[in-house]
Amino acid sequence: MVDAVSQPVRRPGALKRVLERFPFLPVLIIFVALLALNGLYQPRSVSLVGLTGLVKTYLALVLLAVAQTYVVYAGDIDLSAGAIVSLVNVVIVSVMAYLGDGTFSVLGAMVIGLLVGLACGIVNGVVVAVFRLQAIVATFATSIFFTGVALYVMPVAGTPAPATFWRTYGGRILEIPFVFWLAIVLAAILYMLARTRLAMQLLAVGDDAQGAYQSGLPVTAIRMRGYAMCGLFAALAAFCVTGDTASGDPLVGGAMTLNSVAAVVLGGTALAGGFGTVVGSVFGALSIGLISSVVYFIGVPSEWQNLARGAAILLALMAGVLVGRRMRS
Amino acid sequence: MSKLKISGVTKVYGATAALSHGDLEVDAGEVHVLIGSNGSGKSTLCKIVAGSVKPDSGTVVLDGKEVVIPGPQGAKALGIGIFYQELSLAGHRTVEENICLPDLPMRGPFVDRTALSERAARYIALFDGVTGDGFAPDVTVDALRPDQRQLVEIMKALATEASVLIFDEPTSALDRAQAERFFDILRRLKGDGRAMIFISHRMDEIFAIGDRVTVLRDGRTIGTMRIDETEPQAVVRMMVGDEPALAAEAAPTPIVDATAKTTDVALSVRGFSGQGFSNVDFEARKGEILGFGGLHGQGQSAVLRALFGALPVSAGNVELSGNAHAPSSPRAAIRAGLAYVSGDRGRDGVIQGRPILENVTPIHYLRDRLFLARPSALREKAKPAMDALNTRFAGFSHPIGSLSGGNQQKIVIARWLIDRPGVLLLDDPTKGIDLSAKADLFSLIRRLASEGLAILLYSSEDAELLSNADRILVFNGGSVTRELTGETRTRFNLYEAAYEAV
Repeated sequence: MVDAVSQPVRRPGALKRVLERFPFLPVLIIFVALLALNGLYQPRSVSLVGLTGLVKTYLALVLLAVAQTYVVYAGDIDLSAGAIVSLVNVVIVSVMAYLGDGTFSVLGAMVIGLLVGLACGIVNGVVVAVFRLQAIVATFATSIFFTGVALYVMPVAGTPAPATFWRTYGGRILEIPFVFWLAIVLAAILYMLARTRLAMQLLAVGDDAQGAYQSGLPVTAIRMRGYAMCGLFAALAAFCVTGDTASGDPLVGGAMTLNSVAAVVLGGTALAGGFGTVVGSVFGALSIGLISSVVYFIGVPSEWQNLARGAAILLALMAGVLVGRRMRS
Repeated sequence: MSKLKISGVTKVYGATAALSHGDLEVDAGEVHVLIGSNGSGKSTLCKIVAGSVKPDSGTVVLDGKEVVIPGPQGAKALGIGIFYQELSLAGHRTVEENICLPDLPMRGPFVDRTALSERAARYIALFDGVTGDGFAPDVTVDALRPDQRQLVEIMKALATEASVLIFDEPTSALDRAQAERFFDILRRLKGDGRAMIFISHRMDEIFAIGDRVTVLRDGRTIGTMRIDETEPQAVVRMMVGDEPALAAEAAPTPIVDATAKTTDVALSVRGFSGQGFSNVDFEARKGEILGFGGLHGQGQSAVLRALFGALPVSAGNVELSGNAHAPSSPRAAIRAGLAYVSGDRGRDGVIQGRPILENVTPIHYLRDRLFLARPSALREKAKPAMDALNTRFAGFSHPIGSLSGGNQQKIVIARWLIDRPGVLLLDDPTKGIDLSAKADLFSLIRRLASEGLAILLYSSEDAELLSNADRILVFNGGSVTRELTGETRTRFNLYEAAYEAV
């Protein structure tokens, strides 16, 4: 019964409290700043058409960042997320090519796509949570495996997706672009998912897996569900990729994996797990998209674009992390 | 019929038996105290009941039926709740979320936030008025003080509403008022017929709240007594066992003569405070082995690490052979002639995967500010230090991993001996080392002392302290509460000082 060293009470400041509630605030500021920058160099880019294009192109990355967030919540990572996108992309394009153009064909392909994504997620979950392999290495290995399957399904890129699919994705309903409807539905789904038991359990596991186990939480099952969610959202991302590119490509998702991780970190989610928001990941992904377009609009010569984009992402990460740290302390 | 009966439970980790024969019987409506010294197996026994450790053998009988506890989840289903000594809280979750985490109230597919707040509020209300500043249901746990976190873990255990409740040192960080409130709650639960297992190191608490006490020693259950039929002295005697009353008799007489000790003070510490310890005063003389004793985590390691500059210091003066020394970093401490050897070789000592030579020489590089050195010249320098330790090794180029734990520790000590330090800080140096290597290590430590080194020795094994230290400072609650010298260095006195209330 001793308080050997009495520590000063840490009274969280108002700003810290706000940030604790809304950890995605820094990335929101970055997002708005990037949007303003875009508007400055190319006023048309912040018009309805410009924004539709942005959402149309980057909704896939947004969904993949959301997918990644659920595994990162629990302190895991999924380096196969992009490969799942590729696999689902070639699978649905192949199925639709087989069944022909039509609503039934498209819906059937999407159901199959979701099942493929779920299966990939479960494979990852089994490897990481049940067999206890290091997430970073194990999912890297499964990513090669999934890519291999994708290449088997469709050895060369270029099979076109049926017109129904990409016309709907790029079209309008009630004069409002279809992708905006998708964004609204996504927001509603994310709002509900944040209130499920799984979200809190994933965060608790990420905070202290041993503690969660000792509290009686089914840690293995929770981590598996995180990977399953990741697979499902990766499949949704694949639908958007297919809608955007209108074709199958067995390597289309590869480059998206690390972008999704960067988006998660930019969104203020801790890679160590236990802390973060999907909203942050959404704006993180959109910010990465805006960086690409701003680099383009500023008129950076094409050979310098990668360098400029890399530097800008680095800057955004630093700004996000530093601002977050400042505001928290 | 007892509510819970554990018989002949064992648990072995590698070569060490954490529990070699655990028996325990707990009745409904009683607070059953478990007591025993460091490493006697109390926590292991509790974790077996709570399902987070699987026993190697033995039986657990609950309500007259033999049960196999498959895991923490299964224990919860059987009505067993536990307060973990090391806490099981999620730092980024709020107080109320943590309290309800094992069993979140749901409405359809969603977490029912209102029900969650209401349920948590019931348990928070139990500690109304003693939770302290900054405590609120919606504050994240990592913003709380240690005592407040401990309260949250208590609330979380209570919220399980289990019929068997285990509290593994629930009061170690609580202040008097918080502990009193907790005891009131325990008394009420007792009235409800709950069976409770309570671990504490404070005799006054044990006698205030306990109905029966079971003593463990070296992984065995020694016996159970009714609290109202016994007294603290008897309990301590049971913990000590039938060893010679003067354990110090086993120790060799100090080699250095008394006069030499009193004159040459190698290390003097005044008002030393930091995280986990406060106002520590002592002097260590040349040629003396000064023991740090007491229960685990009463500040012994923290003082040693802080002296070495590895933990921040908030106040105090340190003098090395009469010169003021400000412990700022391990680098500065090494330059000033302090040496630190930790029992946690993996973290603090051994450079894994590297040859023995590289493991012997890093301090030499630092103290002599070497940039480039010929391996053969280094070998020449390392050889006498290694010979002094009579370490058996095949060659300097062999990897450190090829040696046993005891020999690895000798290599770590050898690295300090190339350039003689003035003060050697030993932080539980024999952790995980086999018996013969231990004997070797202690004969080396005594020889180093006889050569004029001042040695501070913290050991979690009381026998090591009693047979090797010239003086023992007993730590209790972050400060030195008693000094044992000469004839008073007995196991009984050590336990009595370690377990008394402060």
